[in-house]
Amino acid sequence: MTSSGTLTPMSTKDDDLASSPVVPARYPWRWVGVAFVLVLAAQFVHGLVTNPAWDWPTFARYFTAQSILTAVGTTIVLTVLGTVLGFALGIVVAVLRMSKSPFLSAVGWTYIWAFRSIPLIVQLLFWFNISYLYSRLSLGIPFGPELVSFETIALISPMGAAVLGLALHQAAYAAEIVRSGVISVDRGQLEAAAALGIPRFRQFRRIVLPQAMRSILPNAANEVISLFKGTSVVSVMAIGELFYQVQVIYGRNARVVALLMVATVWYIILTTLLSIGQHHVERYFARGDRR
Amino acid sequence: MIKVLGVHKSFGSLEVLRGVSLTVAAGEVVVVLGPSGSGKSTLLRTINHLEKADRGFVAIDGDLIGYRRRAGKLHELKEREILKQRKDIGFVFQNFNLFPHLTALENVAEVADLASARHFLERVGLEDKASAYPRQLSGGQQQRVAIARALATRPKVVLFDEPTSALDPELVGEVLDVMRDLARTGTTMVVVTHEIGFAREVADRIVFIDGGVIVEEGAPDEVLDRPVHDRTRAFLSKVL
Ligand SMILES: Nc1ncnc2c1ncn2[C@@H]1O[C@H](COP(=O)(O)OP(=O)(O)O)[C@@H](O)[C@H]1O
Ligand SMILES: [Mg+2]
Repeated sequence: MTSSGTLTPMSTKDDDLASSPVVPARYPWRWVGVAFVLVLAAQFVHGLVTNPAWDWPTFARYFTAQSILTAVGTTIVLTVLGTVLGFALGIVVAVLRMSKSPFLSAVGWTYIWAFRSIPLIVQLLFWFNISYLYSRLSLGIPFGPELVSFETIALISPMGAAVLGLALHQAAYAAEIVRSGVISVDRGQLEAAAALGIPRFRQFRRIVLPQAMRSILPNAANEVISLFKGTSVVSVMAIGELFYQVQVIYGRNARVVALLMVATVWYIILTTLLSIGQHHVERYFARGDRR
Repeated sequence: MIKVLGVHKSFGSLEVLRGVSLTVAAGEVVVVLGPSGSGKSTLLRTINHLEKADRGFVAIDGDLIGYRRRAGKLHELKEREILKQRKDIGFVFQNFNLFPHLTALENVAEVADLASARHFLERVGLEDKASAYPRQLSGGQQQRVAIARALATRPKVVLFDEPTSALDPELVGEVLDVMRDLARTGTTMVVVTHEIGFAREVADRIVFIDGGVIVEEGAPDEVLDRPVHDRTRAFLSKVL
């Protein structure tokens, strides 16, 4: 009756059970999967290293060249301005969209509708060419006298047009991300804040937004990373950001693959830094969640 | 002190409050009893204007809540002014509604300076939990922080909506102890609860609500031991 594999009543054999060794469940197919992926990865690395077409010497020459570093700087500036202005305006649009006033809510909705409908590249080219459409911008009373006026060309440089376009585009998406975060906050939180007589703006800033950040952040990080790579679109406006710069260089020396790799590796490095930043910011906003 | 006069409130076609009138004197403790869905929460929420009454009004120390009387007309107040009025009315929710991203002390300090926030935490016996986040506290401790927070605006009256209903039985006592202490020190309170023992011991008056009207009110021993109405008797036989 003591041999293993036989069913024994719990009551008499509890001690045996407690001292029996446990054999963990085995998953042989997982190992097959691991082996498969490792073989693929090894082949890929082997190709990268041994295939001369990748042209690593050219890659090394350009990776930290001054022109590339400047272009990386421009890409970062575009990303930062696009993100900061885009999210600042996005919060405003989200607040409009959620307003109890039907008019303000319609304004917010229309903004989001308009800027999500227009492809970014079209919008950028539009801002780039706005001086053909309106050569002077003026402030004044409609159909009445003009108060001040500017040369459009002087006011909106290509870089200015790029920042404007990216920020306006980003704001529409940011608004929806902020709104989804805000509506994910428990209603009871707003009731408690209202019952305590906390002023509306303070409710939003101190109670709602920090909690909304939990669900805003992963989406916002996605947006920032996609904006960061999306800045390559402004190469159509001949702005010297990373993608434009490598195009210029391979246009001259025809080392297309090596230079695309220069851009790719920079994009990977910066995206990695952003992801690490995201991890830390998310941890900060999860602080009430630790036990 | 608090005066509720002829309050009606409907949600769609459902009439939840059908003419409720209630006066609470300064320092008085009124316990509201009634079956689930009878309109107890709605009554409390109307008092601090989280719900707007369709008809009737609420006044605290003679100030109408949510309205201003001018030239024989009632003018609705702006949200900013209503928020200011709510500082006079503390509200304790069934599920605490603490701000989860703020520590116990920060929750209270959201509506008071740090020194008084500490004082109110001490008052509910939680000064040693000041830097704990709500999730690190037991339900009873969370509700005590919520009570400290409700006291922090120095309200004239504190409303409790089933403050112990979300708690494990062994945690109910500590919250009731805090409330008992408040009652003893002269806090004006309106308490919706199913804790009959607490009602008997602490209440100056018990109000029984059913179907959106006050069916019966009086001293605890009258209402609890010698109820006049069948509906009160039926309810008490279920909870006692
Ligand atoms: N915001 C609301 N919308 C629609 N119906 C509601 C709302 N709040 C409460 N009710 C209804 O009103 C009735 C009374 O609710 P409530 O005051 O919460 O009762 P109690 O607190 O006595 O249990 C219930 O039938 C409830 O479903
Ligand atoms: Mg209720």
